[in-house]
Amino acid sequence: MTDPFGFIDLPVRQVITDIVNWIVATFRDFSRTYISPPVRGVMNGVQWGLSSVPPGAFILATFVLGWWAASWRVGVFSVIAFALIGFMGVWDQMIITLSLVVTAVFFCVLIGLPLGILSSRSDRFYGFMRPVLDIMQTTPPFVYLVPAVMLFSIGNVPGLIATIVFAMPPVIRLTNLGIRHVNPEFIEAAVAFGSTKRQILWKVQFPLAMPTIMAGLNQTIMLALSMVVIAAIIGAGGLGLEVYAGLERLNIGQAFVGGIGIVLLAMVLDRITQGLGEKAPGVRDRD
Amino acid sequence: MIRAENVTKIFGSDPESAIPLLEENKTKEEIRELTGQTVGVNKASFDIQQGEVFAIMGLSGCGKSTLIRCINRIIDPTAGHIFFKHPDRGEVDITQLDEEALRTLRKQNMSMVFQHFALLPHRTVLSNVGYGMEIQGRGRRKRQEAAQRVLDMVGLGPWGRSYPSELSGGMQQRVGLARGLATDAEVLLMDEPFSALDPLIKVDMQQELTRIQRELHRTILFITHDLDEAMRIGDHIAIMEDGKIVQIGSPEQILVNPRTEYVAKFVEHADPTGVITAGTIALPLDSDKFVSAGERDGISYLHRQDLPHVRYGMDREGRLHDVQMDEQDVPVRRLEEVLEDESARPASSERTGLALTCGEDAVLRDILRSRLYSTLPVAVTNGDGRVRGLIDDPELINGILEKRGEIP
Ligand SMILES: Nc1ncnc2c1ncn2[C@@H]1O[C@H](COP(=O)(O)OP(=O)(O)OP(=O)(O)O)[C@@H](O)[C@H]1O
Ligand SMILES: [Mg+2]
Repeated sequence: MTDPFGFIDLPVRQVITDIVNWIVATFRDFSRTYISPPVRGVMNGVQWGLSSVPPGAFILATFVLGWWAASWRVGVFSVIAFALIGFMGVWDQMIITLSLVVTAVFFCVLIGLPLGILSSRSDRFYGFMRPVLDIMQTTPPFVYLVPAVMLFSIGNVPGLIATIVFAMPPVIRLTNLGIRHVNPEFIEAAVAFGSTKRQILWKVQFPLAMPTIMAGLNQTIMLALSMVVIAAIIGAGGLGLEVYAGLERLNIGQAFVGGIGIVLLAMVLDRITQGLGEKAPGVRDRD
Repeated sequence: MIRAENVTKIFGSDPESAIPLLEENKTKEEIRELTGQTVGVNKASFDIQQGEVFAIMGLSGCGKSTLIRCINRIIDPTAGHIFFKHPDRGEVDITQLDEEALRTLRKQNMSMVFQHFALLPHRTVLSNVGYGMEIQGRGRRKRQEAAQRVLDMVGLGPWGRSYPSELSGGMQQRVGLARGLATDAEVLLMDEPFSALDPLIKVDMQQELTRIQRELHRTILFITHDLDEAMRIGDHIAIMEDGKIVQIGSPEQILVNPRTEYVAKFVEHADPTGVITAGTIALPLDSDKFVSAGERDGISYLHRQDLPHVRYGMDREGRLHDVQMDEQDVPVRRLEEVLEDESARPASSERTGLALTCGEDAVLRDILRSRLYSTLPVAVTNGDGRVRGLIDDPELINGILEKRGEIP
């Protein structure tokens, strides 16, 4: 049988390679001078802060946070989870992973929130954002790693960049959604008292959208955690590296310890941010 | 203060297409069938004086909310003009204002009370009431003090720190009212502000509004679907049907002289005792039911045909000089002062020992009550004291049952 597609050969591979090469050649210097330093700076700061807290105090703090944000159950669960992580001997790796997540989420919110607000206020801008968000979310996470390495070399920074890109869409989407779904009645009331567009945004729309935005933030944190683990392949440290190194050396025990640590961390982060979301102002109305 | 000229609002994809049909006097239903557009308001015109309460009433869906929203342009009218006598800038056409001027107008000159309250759920009651002042840029302390004062006024003083969702519907409505009152705007747009209140609080709030109004002299556009409420607090009433204003007048004009079948239906079950006035129902002196009883010392006497032993003496100018019963002088007092004097109430059998006079604007209810003091016909006098006519039982009964004086 002859190949039915043989008579045309779309040079997609070549074109993509050329494009990526061009992007890398053009932006490498820019990325390394202007993007890497702030990301690395925040990462180092967060990591320094988190690792300088004594584990005992850290665990106590998560207990209080869990209790305050959600319930005493969540507080107790946090204590058990972090104690386990410590006793399994991956405390330092956990701190690195947490720092990576915090840093990535920080940039996701910093960039995603304004984009979400912009999307909610302009249909045209949202029309442009939508396909971009779709691409960002459906591209397999591994695909981000290649250009990240090419632009930023290896280590924590390319891992973080890939994570930020991968984890940002929920913040944008749900900020947009939350603001658009505020009951028009409330906006009408604000308008009737002479509020400006900006006053309406900050005094009415944003607080009322807060529960939805927090749901987006929760998703972003979970995505960031999953990506930070994958980023171990390109040299990011932490629990992901533990898993990756364990698999590479066929040390199943080591890989499992890393994996359990990730799951525990994910559960604690999820419960706490969900609790925060329900505490958010505006939530009182949604009964 | 506010003058609307042919304000029209058409909802739909192509509002302009319905305008010519309105000119042909097609009904809302016909226009809907022909063009698919919904007529919200159909060429509404009215003139609201400074300091008055102008009530708009009509059935559900007749366009009341749409019309009131056109006034502060939360809804942009499809056609027509709305003129507002601005305290500093003279007459402005609200339909021509740009964004900025419109915002200033809403902030400083017009506030609004919503039918469905529209309280901000993430703010406490106090901060909801203070919202308008916050937008006006007043300081936090001043704002809170003022908000607390207004909250006290609507009877919710202790609830400032609660959230709207913790209040009953009626309480939320009062918070909405407080928010509207708090900004000191000259014009208050109120969309069924009392509809969610139970009957007792409703009457309380109506009296409270009347009291506030006596003090503050706001110009109030008040929407209701309750004719009795409209009559109680409205200086003028506009009645709407299918987007159109079918009649505008004082409560009494509407009650006594309903212009269409639709208005008549409304009026049928309204309570006339607080609306209809002595001037309307009095049997006029020039009626052939009066018989002259001669003249003495320049005073001419007459009596009702059916009541020869009660005689009313009038001087040359037509002022009441004396009242006689069985040729005996009877003391004469003003109805208003007698009503305030419980001790003047005689025993049932002695209610012919006193004669009363009242002004043309005395309402039926007061005249009815005065029957506890005197059963003689009440003499109705106009501004300069001349007798206009008499009210006896037939006039009272006709007034209540037929909403007019004499049956022709
Ligand atoms: N946003 C809108 N889009 C389309 N049609 C509308 C809209 N708002 C109102 N209408 C229509 O306009 C007409 C008048 O509605 P409006 O809300 O002004 O009535 P209303 O007199 O305030 O009634 P109610 O006493 O029930 O509050 C109705 O036929 C309604 O269907
Ligand atoms: Mg309405």
